[in-house]
Amino acid sequence: MLNLQRWQTIAVIAFTALAVLFALPNVLPAVVLDHLPGWYQQSRINLGLDLRGGAHFLLEADLRSVLNERLTNLSDSVRGELRKQQVPFKDITVEQGRAVNVVLRDETQRAKAIEAIRNVDPSLGVSGSGDTIRLAYSDQDLFRRKKEVIDQSIEILRRRVDETGTIEPTIVRQGDDRILLQVPGIKDTTDLKRKINQTAKLTFHLVNEDVAAAGPNAPVPPTTFMVPTREGMQELRRSNPKAWEEIQAANPRLGPEQICRRYQPQCLPVLKRVVVGGEDLDDAKATFEQQQGGRPIISFTFNAAGGRAFCAATRANIGKRLAIQLDNEIISAPVVQGAICGGSGIITGTFTTQQTQEQALLLRSGALPATLTIIEERTVGADLGADAIRDGTVAALVGTALVILLMLVVYGPVFGGFASLAMMVNMLLVFAGMSVLGASLTLPGIAGLVLTVGMSVDSNVLIYERVREESAAGRSPFSAVATGYERALTAVIDSNLTALIAGVLLFGFGSGPIRGFATSLTLGLLTHLFTATIFTRMLLAAWVRWRRPTALPI
Amino acid sequence: MLWRPHHLIRARTNFDFLGKRKIALVLSTVINVASLVGVFVFGLNFGIDFEGGIAIQVKAKQGNVQLDELRSTLGHLGVGEVSLQEFGDASTALIRVQRQEGNNQCVANAERVMKRRAGDGWAVKPGPAGTGDVAFTAPNALDAVNWRDAVSRVGLTVQERQLPRGTVNTAKIDMTPEQRAEWCQQVAIKLVEDTIGSNYELRGTESVGPKIGEELMRNGVLAVVATLAAIAIYVWFRFEWQFGVGALIALLHDVLCTVGLFVLLQLDFSLTALAALLTIAGYSINDTVVIFDRVRENMRRYKKMGLVELLNFSINETLARTLMTSGTVFVAVLALVLFGGPVLYSFSIAMLWGVIVGTYSSIWVASACLVYLKLRPEQLRIDEEKAEKAKA
Repeated sequence: MLNLQRWQTIAVIAFTALAVLFALPNVLPAVVLDHLPGWYQQSRINLGLDLRGGAHFLLEADLRSVLNERLTNLSDSVRGELRKQQVPFKDITVEQGRAVNVVLRDETQRAKAIEAIRNVDPSLGVSGSGDTIRLAYSDQDLFRRKKEVIDQSIEILRRRVDETGTIEPTIVRQGDDRILLQVPGIKDTTDLKRKINQTAKLTFHLVNEDVAAAGPNAPVPPTTFMVPTREGMQELRRSNPKAWEEIQAANPRLGPEQICRRYQPQCLPVLKRVVVGGEDLDDAKATFEQQQGGRPIISFTFNAAGGRAFCAATRANIGKRLAIQLDNEIISAPVVQGAICGGSGIITGTFTTQQTQEQALLLRSGALPATLTIIEERTVGADLGADAIRDGTVAALVGTALVILLMLVVYGPVFGGFASLAMMVNMLLVFAGMSVLGASLTLPGIAGLVLTVGMSVDSNVLIYERVREESAAGRSPFSAVATGYERALTAVIDSNLTALIAGVLLFGFGSGPIRGFATSLTLGLLTHLFTATIFTRMLLAAWVRWRRPTALPI
Repeated sequence: MLWRPHHLIRARTNFDFLGKRKIALVLSTVINVASLVGVFVFGLNFGIDFEGGIAIQVKAKQGNVQLDELRSTLGHLGVGEVSLQEFGDASTALIRVQRQEGNNQCVANAERVMKRRAGDGWAVKPGPAGTGDVAFTAPNALDAVNWRDAVSRVGLTVQERQLPRGTVNTAKIDMTPEQRAEWCQQVAIKLVEDTIGSNYELRGTESVGPKIGEELMRNGVLAVVATLAAIAIYVWFRFEWQFGVGALIALLHDVLCTVGLFVLLQLDFSLTALAALLTIAGYSINDTVVIFDRVRENMRRYKKMGLVELLNFSINETLARTLMTSGTVFVAVLALVLFGGPVLYSFSIAMLWGVIVGTYSSIWVASACLVYLKLRPEQLRIDEEKAEKAKA
């Protein structure tokens, strides 16, 4: 049956119209685009880094060192706790990357020792027998911790990279211990690389309540300095973007006092003396209060030295605020409710869950990050990208022209023309598909498009050759076309599915630009199954009905 | 009508393709064995994607690239093997530096970079053998923040705990040998930058560390194997096992031949080259499937025809479309070769060759395999009887 049913015709037209609609934002001028809804504006193809220029880094986090450090801390805490509970032990050793081994002097003390260890961390896995106790973190715990370290590293990177004022960095986790960082448009990566591993400087300071009470213009004694608050800086960024940019661009970087003096965001006077440094903070996490309806809070843990210092400072300053300074901002200044001894404490306040998570992340960003090693780096200058775009465009246009020419010569203006038209509609569909997926167009991606041009007429070749055969066998034009389409279908599908298999696997195994290639090729092969068969059939059926040829011009 | 279609092949042809199968067998075997031997004897010119290393695209600030001068300057830099090639036009070049080992030479290089960028008072020395440690000595005492800044000048990124506490003038940065090797890539880039930066503009830099190279290689081999297997299994399910085996052998043939081309022309074997291999595998099978499809159809129709005769008949019937489908892709890829620019060159050349090899293998490898695998023994006997009659 050559003629399509009405619903099929409508579907073809609707599908094509939809493709035009979704591909359109790529070519619409910005003026028009601004008036359209956001989701529609986003239906665009992004240029890959190799075309627009920029830097691509693959970073690997040294999770093993993080674990070892954590095990060392654990062994310290266990040692302290066992001493406190007066459980004698021979030795406590760290088994690198795995566990902490405790050897007791007296086997009979085992139960007491385990109880003491539970005090340190109830989630520890305890094994071993006799006088040996083996402590290991559970797989779940390790997994959570790994994820935390990576998330935290990502957050640090985002803060660092955003600071440079660059546009939309892509920072995503890859695999277990890797982070992919892509920054479009930057040329000099020296500064960026320097920032990558720069951990934030976290310190705890007491707020000078006398100065704070005296108002914003009170004189500041030499023991105290003004530090902008995080909200203050964010407010400044909103209300005075120019000042914000100036601060970011300043070289050398402005100190907190200078920022307060010049731009007057909300600032807090804090004592210069550091109560505890971020290096003494072991962990911070978002959690919920046990009583009082379970408000979201932040809990944190110090190591032994930090715990002592924190205990002394909080005991002496109940009712005062303790400012937590991250780099040049105060991220929070909770009021000390009571002496916080024992190495851990909580920050309460009117937080949302999201806020506590963010704050915990910020707190952690001063402590425990893993070393990030650059294991892959690709930088493309913008002019190199421009060259690539030019080469790719010329190749695509010439390739398309050659294919159309070949089709027109071999199959004539009608059949060849329809196949060429279908091929162009197919390209439109690919563009629409990539726009909807928000896929990146890379240079190999352009190569994929050029290949798609060549391959998408192949199905028409198969069909047309079949039509020629049927026509030569004496069928009427109408019947030859109908039978040709019908009989060529298995070959069309079989031959394209194999190429699709290759495309899908390529996408699965490939990375970066190669994925771009796989995306455009796979999409092209999929959509051409529609254009090469149904779309050309619709055109041909209409043509045959209109011209009623006695012999097919093929 | 504006013009008449031009048939690629005027009338039904009647070539005895499979009569030449012995010659084809010899030819294919020779090419494949040569490719394999080539890979082991001469080796593939692995790009940095798989071997690790550094690739820097430079453009001369004035005039053309002085390749000889650059070669001798960079060759004595102490960053190992450096290769140079013109890239695109005479004013640009691609510098390839071998993968860096985290050896003492690299630490000495770091010292050179440090002296140049931070002042002569600096010293950088390797730590004890077996570790990746590096000791930095500054002309004056620095605190942790300044230490971090200082070591970043040689591309070293450190975390808090690696830095010394207090204000001191030496810092021992502890690293594993693997971490040092990754860092040495950065050192080499900086050294090259310092050395040629005054005359050349660095347009793009790629650095692949030792670790990722191995991984990409493993993934690449896996991808090729998985693709070949998946396609062969698909053909097997859609047809019969002999077809599946025939397709697999043809695919292996195409992939090997293409690898051979990479050896012969010493083309850069990179990730895009791998993409070319997979695409060739996916595409070259198209023609094969078209012929197989026709063979299957004819087998149902002509039960009394000899197998070789039937295969020949099917190949002849589908010859026009085999040539035409390959032709359309050929011209498209030709445009890529001619205009696609230097980055895509290896990929495009490989694809072009793959299209040709794929067409050949559909006829003389995949179809010939059906004869060797005795697809229909009883029909094969008809061929033999005919051949004997002809002799007599």
